[in-house]
Amino acid sequence: MQVLIQLLITGIAMGFIYALVAIEYTIIWNATGLLNFSHDKFILFGAYMFAGTYVLSLGLPPVIAVLCTIITMFLFGIVSAFVIFNPLSRLSTNLFAVIGTVILGRIITEAVRLIWGPLPFSLDGFLKGSYKIGSVVVSRSHVIIILVCTLITVSLQLFFKFTKTGKAMRCVSENKTAASLMGVNVSINIALTVGISAVICAIIGILVVPIFNVELQMSSMIGLKGFASGVIGGFGHLPGAILGGILLGVVEIFGSMIIPSVYKDCLSFILLIIFLLIKPSGLLRDRK
Amino acid sequence: MKKQNKTLIIALICIGIAAILPLFISNNYHLNLMIQVLINIIIVLGLNFITGLTGQMNLGTAGIFSMGAYTSALVATKSGVNPWICLILAAVMGIIIGVGLGYPSLRVSGVYLALTTIGFSEIVRVLMTNLTDLTGGALGVNNIPVFSIFGHEFRENKEIYYLYLVIALLLIFNAYRIVNSKWGRSFLAIKDNPEAINASGVNIAKLRIMAFTLTAVYSTIAGSLYAHYVGFMNPSAYNIEFSINYVVMLVIGGIGSVAGNIAGAILVTIVPELLRFIENYYWLVFSIITLLFVIFLPNGMLSLFNKKKSMKK
Repeated sequence: MQVLIQLLITGIAMGFIYALVAIEYTIIWNATGLLNFSHDKFILFGAYMFAGTYVLSLGLPPVIAVLCTIITMFLFGIVSAFVIFNPLSRLSTNLFAVIGTVILGRIITEAVRLIWGPLPFSLDGFLKGSYKIGSVVVSRSHVIIILVCTLITVSLQLFFKFTKTGKAMRCVSENKTAASLMGVNVSINIALTVGISAVICAIIGILVVPIFNVELQMSSMIGLKGFASGVIGGFGHLPGAILGGILLGVVEIFGSMIIPSVYKDCLSFILLIIFLLIKPSGLLRDRK
Repeated sequence: MKKQNKTLIIALICIGIAAILPLFISNNYHLNLMIQVLINIIIVLGLNFITGLTGQMNLGTAGIFSMGAYTSALVATKSGVNPWICLILAAVMGIIIGVGLGYPSLRVSGVYLALTTIGFSEIVRVLMTNLTDLTGGALGVNNIPVFSIFGHEFRENKEIYYLYLVIALLLIFNAYRIVNSKWGRSFLAIKDNPEAINASGVNIAKLRIMAFTLTAVYSTIAGSLYAHYVGFMNPSAYNIEFSINYVVMLVIGGIGSVAGNIAGAILVTIVPELLRFIENYYWLVFSIITLLFVIFLPNGMLSLFNKKKSMKK
């Protein structure tokens, strides 16, 4: 029984990571109509910046390092919005935007490889250890992941519902022309959205540092599973993204009890295909 | 008529250069590079159907290519079937992948093909690495037989080059005919104006699946050619970076046109060799150039020479 509970918690924690990934690209998708194919590289960049520069070279305490990473990534997001996302979203077809973000991802990977080197490393003692509740042992990083992800999801919803900027962002995602006629500056809004998305990416990157080694391939699977959970929950729909992510995390962890764990990564692909065949609009979205 | 003649003459000159070039090259490494160029041309031509014409992104070239290569290699080594039959089997595998992956992802409009192809590619790599009994795992398949015609085996690089040049020319001609046919025009119309083509009573999903199947067949054929040329296959190189390389070739050369595809494939395969002196920074520099291409010259290099045509778009 405790084993089941432990597995469930691990599954939910991984699920929350996938959900965050889904949220992070969904807000850009809603604001610009572009899918950010470099999102897993944003995560990679955040993780390297946090672990490589702020903690290991500058020796900052983790809390300050997290803050520094968030600020840097926000600025990085804003810059890449003005340099890349805004020009790309004005082109005639979406194809060039897809290609553009894919190439941006490669530029980030190359930059990371040149700045921090190709060798993987890890942060000793960061979010390590475990809690014991009754007879259930829960790893500390999983608890932190669940707490932080819940906090981000709730505050993002509050931000979109109640602040003026958040409302403006929802207007932009509904109708760009109408929003600009109502005096909303669309390109600044898009930049802010990409900035927030980059911050979420950085947080994901920091959260997965204790789970994976810091290496160049660390985020490609999470990126892919984030896409899968978006499709499962309903593409472009925030609550759907969260539900899809958690579902995927739990299915994956229990699936790995039945099939050999090297094939665990295949489950998300199979789920993606099944949902595209049976219910392409996803679990929570009715309109097509 | 006049334009057609001009195209024909340019094509003939290019074929002539391609045919006599090996006579001046004695370096085996350069010959290898030229064979690689031919294989890359085939892949990029294939990618052009789905990405260049219909505007759907295919990021799974690595998976499709290695499925073709492995199909061909495994059938040839395990059952000793003639490599030519393996090539046909690889093409059949392309049709299976095209329809099997295209049907779920292209029925609904959206970017789903990009997602499923990335997923497919990763799964293929996981399976190739872990199904050790079938594929040999990380060690891969060795001693893949070479092509032969009437008992003559193609072992020398020069012979392989000419054989592959003939195959590539056939596929280029085929691609040129398709791009400039009713199919090609309908593929292009899907990218430019899906509403209009829908209103004209054309089944978009079916056309897209057809385009993707063509892509898959071209990629698996290229995979099979590659496997029988190098003689061994292992799964390590076939990741997303491999797939992105071909997208880069497509963008640099010129999306949608056969000549542009060929130019892109040649350029992106050869230029890294010329830029060896910036070794470590090569991909960074090249990716930034590609990004500039996407933003400022989305129709590729060829649109520089073809000003009028690109203006019309």
